[in-house]
Amino acid sequence: MQGAAIVRHVVTFGRVLREVGIEVGPGRVEDAVLGLGAVDLTRQDDVYFTLRQTLVSRHDELELFDRAFVAWFLRGPVAPLVRQKQTRRFADRVARDTLEAGGDDGDEADPSTPHELGASGHELLREKDFAEMTPEEFERVRKLMAAIARTRPRRQSRRRTPDARGDRLDLRRLCRNSLRSGGEPIEQPWKGRKTVPRKLVVLCDISGSMDAYARALLFYLHAIVGSGSGVEAFAFGTRLTRLTPDLATRDPEAALARANEIAVDWGSGTRIGGSLAEFNAIYGRRAFSRGAVVVIVSDGWERDDPDLVGREMAKLARAAYAVVWVNPLKGNPEYQPLAGGMRAALPFVDRFLPGHNLRSLEELGAVLAGIERRHAA
Amino acid sequence: MRPPRRRRRFHYAGSVSFRTIDELEGALRGADYLPDRGLATALFLALALEKPVLLEGEAGVGKTEAAKALATALDARLIRLQCYEGLDVSHAVYEWNYPRQLLHIRAAQEGSVSEEELFGPEFLIRRPLLEAIDSEGPVVLLIDEIDRADEEFEAFLLEVLSDFQITIPELGTIRARRRPAVILTSNRTRELHDALKRRALFHWIGHPSIEREVEIVMLRVPGIPERLAKEAAAFVRGLRALDLAKPPGVAETIDWAQALAALGREEIDAEVVEQTLGSVLKYREDIETVRDETLVGLIEEARATANR
Repeated sequence: MQGAAIVRHVVTFGRVLREVGIEVGPGRVEDAVLGLGAVDLTRQDDVYFTLRQTLVSRHDELELFDRAFVAWFLRGPVAPLVRQKQTRRFADRVARDTLEAGGDDGDEADPSTPHELGASGHELLREKDFAEMTPEEFERVRKLMAAIARTRPRRQSRRRTPDARGDRLDLRRLCRNSLRSGGEPIEQPWKGRKTVPRKLVVLCDISGSMDAYARALLFYLHAIVGSGSGVEAFAFGTRLTRLTPDLATRDPEAALARANEIAVDWGSGTRIGGSLAEFNAIYGRRAFSRGAVVVIVSDGWERDDPDLVGREMAKLARAAYAVVWVNPLKGNPEYQPLAGGMRAALPFVDRFLPGHNLRSLEELGAVLAGIERRHAA
Repeated sequence: MRPPRRRRRFHYAGSVSFRTIDELEGALRGADYLPDRGLATALFLALALEKPVLLEGEAGVGKTEAAKALATALDARLIRLQCYEGLDVSHAVYEWNYPRQLLHIRAAQEGSVSEEELFGPEFLIRRPLLEAIDSEGPVVLLIDEIDRADEEFEAFLLEVLSDFQITIPELGTIRARRRPAVILTSNRTRELHDALKRRALFHWIGHPSIEREVEIVMLRVPGIPERLAKEAAAFVRGLRALDLAKPPGVAETIDWAQALAALGREEIDAEVVEQTLGSVLKYREDIETVRDETLVGLIEEARATANR
């Protein structure tokens, strides 16, 4: 193959990859071309690895890459390439187009609409069950959630920075300062640990019975994911799906719609144990839960085996710093945790909270901010 | 797209050089490491394009070993930076030797000590990154488990890896005389920053094929009966197919095969497997999962595979 032909091939293939949702920048294409210049082009596996190693940088993109490679270079029959995720640019474009069309969102942008609620309206809304809210009320509540989401559990970092109330001498500064005083350490500079946000993992049940609450919680999650790094969000129904990338780029409604497609089999109940097992096996192994505060939002109705819920909760609780279970049904004063899954999970739960209205989310925020390790036996 | 840069000659860390992937593969084998074609390609490209390579994969698939073998193959010095949370410049790059500095100021007593004197090279403690950049000879720099370091350090590393220079305020800028070959490893406990990924080639190391794993065991456990190596590899492969908290990697297969060979075994049976299972499975739940019938089934399967 001529050099120019290789460049053309790689550039086009880069476009194919972008089409299926793998981000390929010009620098990567350049690396691929340089790499192909260094290997034996008659060996298919060398060409394959060269392209893969230069064009892909994430493990979860390997499968897509493989299919694109087979389709493009080997002209093999493959399952249709599915666009798995929209790129941010595409999402931006959609958002801009919607704005320009000045369509249905018009009233939201109207500055004369007061976002602030009057004191009494505010109080009523805080107590109102999410499931009973009108769309307008829901819209107003969304805005209040962002404020609650700013509270995150914190922990001490191992990194030390200059700090007058620190616990270690800052020898570097001490040395420098004592130059002036002939080696006499007159001033004693200290350094101490600062606190950084603790990892936070939220697993949200989005099956049918949780619908109204899941939507509310998802807006809350969206706000939390936007609050900084170290937050991971998952949704589950019959299976588990990771929401973090969606929530970071998309609007929560779209993320919820996508999660519904993947994780919910309508009318077939919730597999809490199975979903937790999936989380432990895939993400627990990657230490997502280690030292994290894990929040599970679910009504605890397990379709399958409650014992599995117990076993997987035990695993999760061992790795996590603390486990919080949010159950919207607990908002009802007469609620008793009788559902099998809920009963099996409770021994491993550090804090058990309702999550049916705005006030209970505020409570959740307060609990998260001050949570301490306190594993129930 | 910009036109590709002029093709460079392949000069890199070492004085040893490889013109083809096969040559490099041969040299790695010479260093007792059996890479699959993908890994050999990744290391070859890292040298050819002078780019860091990021190796990801389950624990125990040989990420760290790959760097060691590459250093041997290149006849280069291996410098390893083990990452951990809170890792900072004073542990990764350099630190001043404060006790010596203080003593020096005291010793000078009357005569005043100048700053240049106090922050001279003899008071400098060189940590791995500085050592790698300021080295005379060829170097393979292994930055191990980068996902454990925090994001501040990742950003700093990105800077070092793009310029291969380090600035020490008191001494000035130190530039690499020759670029070290850089290998980063990650266990994916968190996603690395895109900017760092963009700068590196990426290779995912999976578990090896059974033939290769047998080969690896034979190479790393000299004198092991071939039949035993085959059964051990097949048994571990069976374990990986189960739903375990921590599936065993090649490192565990080697450890286990070593234990079996040390016990003078020719074959595996339920008794010896039960005695030695602890070197393969590291979690109590995993050991419990693989009890009784599961264990017997796995052993039978492994022996059948080895017979083929």
